[in-house]
This record gives sequence, C-alpha cells and structure tokens, in this order.
Amino acid sequence: MTFKSCSHEKEVAQLLARGPWPQVCTEELRTHVSQCRSCGDLLLVSQLFRQARTEVASAAPLASPGAIWWRAQLRRRNAAVERVGRPILGAQIFALAANLLVAVAFLIVQARHGLGWLTWLEQLPQSSALHFEKLWPSLDKLWPAALFNSGWSFALTISALAALLLFSGVAVYLATEKE
Amino acid sequence: MPWESALPNVLAGDAPQVAEPPMDSDAFAGFYERSARPLWAYLARVSANPALADDLAQESYVHFLSAARPELLLAEGEVAARRYLFRIATNLLRDHWRRPQSTSMEEMPEEFFAATSNAAQSDSQAILGPALAEMRPRDRQLLWLAYAEGYSHREIAEITGLASASIRLLLFRARRKIARLLREQAASPRRES
Repeated sequence: MTFKSCSHEKEVAQLLARGPWPQVCTEELRTHVSQCRSCGDLLLVSQLFRQARTEVASAAPLASPGAIWWRAQLRRRNAAVERVGRPILGAQIFALAANLLVAVAFLIVQARHGLGWLTWLEQLPQSSALHFEKLWPSLDKLWPAALFNSGWSFALTISALAALLLFSGVAVYLATEKE
Repeated sequence: MPWESALPNVLAGDAPQVAEPPMDSDAFAGFYERSARPLWAYLARVSANPALADDLAQESYVHFLSAARPELLLAEGEVAARRYLFRIATNLLRDHWRRPQSTSMEEMPEEFFAATSNAAQSDSQAILGPALAEMRPRDRQLLWLAYAEGYSHREIAEITGLASASIRLLLFRARRKIARLLREQAASPRRES
C-alpha cells in the first residue's frame, strides 16, 4: 500500500472539527473531496466515528464516582500499610534465620562435647544456667571465656546478639526511611 | 520517617499516614462526569465488550487516583489528565489481551448480552461494528483516538506508547482499510437486492 496523502486533508480535518460537514465547507472543497480518495476516506471515517462516539457515550452505564473514589483510597491505604509492614516482615525472617543459626550452632557445640544430651538434661536442674544470680558474677570474671564454657551460655549470647542486630536493623530502616 | 511517629500508629493498629491524594472527592466527581462517557465508549468500541469496558473504566479511574501525580493535574490541567486516563485504559486493555482468555459463555453476565443487543440497534453499530470487527485491536485504538476523540498524532503516540513517527503511517493504513470495508459493506446489500 502506497502512503500518499492529500494536501487538503489538514483543511478537511479542521473543518470537520468545527461542525457538520456540508455546512462548513466551500463548494470547491466539496467537489475536491468527492473526487479525492484520501479526503473521501477521511470524511467517511471521521463522520462515522464521531456519530458512534456520541451514541455509545450517551448509552454508557456509569458507576458511582464516590464508590470509585473510596476504592482508590482503600488501595492507597493498603499500599501504605504494606510499605510500613515490609521491614517487619524482614525482621521476622531475620529473627527466624538467627534462631535457626543459634540452634545449629548449639547442636554443633553439643556434638563436639560427645553428645551428652541425657546427662545434660539430667543435670539441668542443678546447673548454674537456671540460677542467674550465679551466672552474672561468673560472666564478669571470665568474660568472654565463660560464655563458651557451656552451650546454654553460648545460646544466650547469640540470642542477645541476634535481638540487638534485629532492633538495630529496624531502627536504621526507620531512621533512613524518607516517606 | 522517624520511628517515634511510625511506631504508635502500628502498635495502635492504625494505618500510617497516607499521602494526600492529588484530587479531592468533589473535584474527582466533576472530572469523572466529564470524562467517563468518552472513556467507556473508547473501551467498549475497541474491546467490543461492554462488560469488559465497565471493569476497565473503573479500574482506570482507580489507577488514576492511586498514581500520585498531582503535578500533572495541577500544572497541565484537565486535558493532560484525560490523556493520562486514556493511557492507563490503553495499558489495561493491552494487559487484558495479553492474558490467556479463560472466560466461558456460562461465566458471562447477562448484562453483557443485553448491552450488546442494545448497542446493535444503533445506526453506528450497524454500520461501523462489522468493519471494526475486521480490524486489528491496535488499528481500532488508533482510529478511535484519532477520529472519535480527535487526538493529534503526538497525543496518540503518548497514549499508546507507539513511536510518534509511525502513527501517521499506521493511521493512514488503518483508515484506508476501514474505509474500504465500509464501502464494500455499503455496496453488498445493494448487490444482494
């Protein structure tokens, strides 16, 4: 298909935009349009599409603008809640990962001590782990070696570090969040 | 955002502060009254599906309000806002066509058939409908935007995302094709009679 438009097209388009075709047109241009294929196409298509627009638009079933407005507000609100909830989800994932790490580390430490699970459990009531007043002075004296003397102390330390990291992460996020 | 201001809202179960929308509800209602009918007509004619046009028109307005572009509305006025709305609708329509179609006849609402039959009674539907049905969706979009809405080539390029330079040629071809179809359609009943 060759692309060959008529020089009168622009003028025809402007006149069509101004009003109904035969009234706004000069006799000379009307004769030209009846003979020119390009201008004839433009006239035919423009008139039909404008008529269709008027008819279809008048039959349009419109929803309530209020309902659409509130739906948009709800979506904005949900998006904002999701934005704020994102660091919390991140913190939860981080906490889970930290706990899993602690559990794995604990198991490794215990395995190196000869898998004395039952003995450890039997001795738990008498151990210093449940007597915190005995635990703190020993920490003061032998830090950090005392921490790693028992798996229980090690787990406590790792948990404390994980919690510290977790809250630091949240605090840093909130401090740097611009929106 | 300082954490002191965010934390009480979250702990109290309140939603955080939502940025002010670019339009208030009254301004939106006015804009909606002026722009909803042409938008629906565009969607209904291009998709040939009034039920889909309902959904997409509403979704277009929700997207329009959710997108925080107050500078567009304030600085460029309603013409730009309307163009932006048509752009959203065009993108939604494109997304719909890209999705795999799974709607069966049983799932179609009865209003769809009622709306189709009502529209079929109008003159323009009887003349333009069959010809438009033979056009490609992109050609239907271009023709409607150019000849029903009266957008310029640059505006059509902005709405459809096509290159501005190619609009002229695409539109010329689409117009020539639909004009031929319309003339053939007008000539065929005479031949039959």
